[in-house]
Amino acid sequence: MAVTNTDRSISEAAGRRSTLAQLWRQIIRIDAMNLVILVAVVLVIWTVISATIANPARYLPSPLVVGLSSVDMIYKGLLPSYFGDTMLRLVVGSFIGIVVGVPFGLAVGLNRTVADMFYPILNFFQSVSGIALFPILVIWWGNSDTTVLAVILYTAFFPIAFNVLSGVREVPIRFIQAARTLGASRWQIIKDVLVPGAMPHIATGIRLSIGFGWRAVIAGEMLAGREGLGWMIFSAQDGDNTARVILGMVMIGLTWIVLDHYVLRPFESETIERWGLVQR
Amino acid sequence: MPEKLLVENLTHHYPDEYTGESVHALDDVDLSVQEGEFISVVGPSGCGKSTLLNILAGLLPYHVGKVTVDGHMIHGPGPERGVVFQEHAILPWRTVNRNIGHGLEIRGVPKAERDNRVAQFVDLVGLTGFEDKYPHELSGGMKQRTAVARTLCADPEVMLMDEPFAAVDAQTRITLQEELIRISIATKKTIIFITHSVDEAAFLADRCVIFSRRPGRIKAIVDVDIPREERIWGNMNADTRFTSKRDEILHLVREEVSVEHEE
Repeated sequence: MAVTNTDRSISEAAGRRSTLAQLWRQIIRIDAMNLVILVAVVLVIWTVISATIANPARYLPSPLVVGLSSVDMIYKGLLPSYFGDTMLRLVVGSFIGIVVGVPFGLAVGLNRTVADMFYPILNFFQSVSGIALFPILVIWWGNSDTTVLAVILYTAFFPIAFNVLSGVREVPIRFIQAARTLGASRWQIIKDVLVPGAMPHIATGIRLSIGFGWRAVIAGEMLAGREGLGWMIFSAQDGDNTARVILGMVMIGLTWIVLDHYVLRPFESETIERWGLVQR
Repeated sequence: MPEKLLVENLTHHYPDEYTGESVHALDDVDLSVQEGEFISVVGPSGCGKSTLLNILAGLLPYHVGKVTVDGHMIHGPGPERGVVFQEHAILPWRTVNRNIGHGLEIRGVPKAERDNRVAQFVDLVGLTGFEDKYPHELSGGMKQRTAVARTLCADPEVMLMDEPFAAVDAQTRITLQEELIRISIATKKTIIFITHSVDEAAFLADRCVIFSRRPGRIKAIVDVDIPREERIWGNMNADTRFTSKRDEILHLVREEVSVEHEE
């Protein structure tokens, strides 16, 4: 156990000195190779199935056809435009949701009475998914950008607010007492103890907010949008353009993997994992 | 020597967490601590010694009696009283350095001065080389060294210690006890040290306060007249000044434990 920890801190130290060479070494590492092999196998199986079924263009176009469709879409500028629309909605929606949700959860979580009062409400809304809220929003605002953005905001806000609230309440009383005996003010306790102490929950909340937000963007665009990846998939189904449907699905999955790898994981490994609050 | 800390007629009740019944934790406690004195408080578990410490720390409000430091009544925590808790009280998201400097940071001491002071205390508690480690990378003993340094670095008048070495292994514990003696000589702090270990209480203190079982009263106070410079475990077990005091304290504590068991 001690050996593993030492190894880990050494590799972490090396990671901080990361250069392009370091990055390159990481790319050609064994698990990167495994990923390449796995993707290749999936593509081969996909190609074989596509070649053996009747009417593949309608039911399952080959990866090559999907790839060509993406080249065509990029060439026409449609894919970058749709993708940009979708990402902008996600970033704006989850950013506002998190920026409002963290202080809200914190403020509510500080006082036990207020927390007890809000807990069931947050718990309630956290379980009513954005999609279930959709019909009422369409009644209010029709099929509009407002509706789509409202769904994302709603979807992003509750998981983070709920998790911050729970997180603040689970910070061990000892940490708070220790800070008080050092003379910490209320604000210093919030800043130095409660926020970092709630960080495992905050990280979970951010992950859920962005993850649910990502689904909500796609679903929202399908139901009420006029552009974006969700709308692209939906309209492609209407137009019997299966290659474009699959292309949309692949884009959704790939985007999440990139977000996870370059935004969420680095944040988690620099905070809660570095502090030993969670094991991985 | 002037009186540093004075406890007069302190009586405390608190409601039991589950039954809600009133628990009589402390009964008419009187204690006078001189400046620079090392006091240990020992007694059976549940005797109210931790309640006393929490009141002295200002973490528990009291209603009957009087507690003063340098003549001032205490209300809530204060920078003149520092606390070392049993375990799990240094902040996991701060490195050793930043934990030790936290008190100064809270007070707004500039970084350059803070770094200077922190370095002194890192050295004093023997944590050189571990300054940038996070608590989860430290052994139990090192965590408690960090906790002691954090409290000392904030420069309190009185250091309150709540069974700080109870959760570390036996070998580390005797080392930490000897080092605490050394630190007490170096810093001349007034120290109140809560423990359930008779050996620890006798080894560390100038005066050992023995609590009765609940409701906690001061049953006896035993003076241990051994100069701090001579307190080294290798010599103590053969030193009758120590063994006689230890046996006396042990006898007093066991009277309380056996009364409890006979009921």
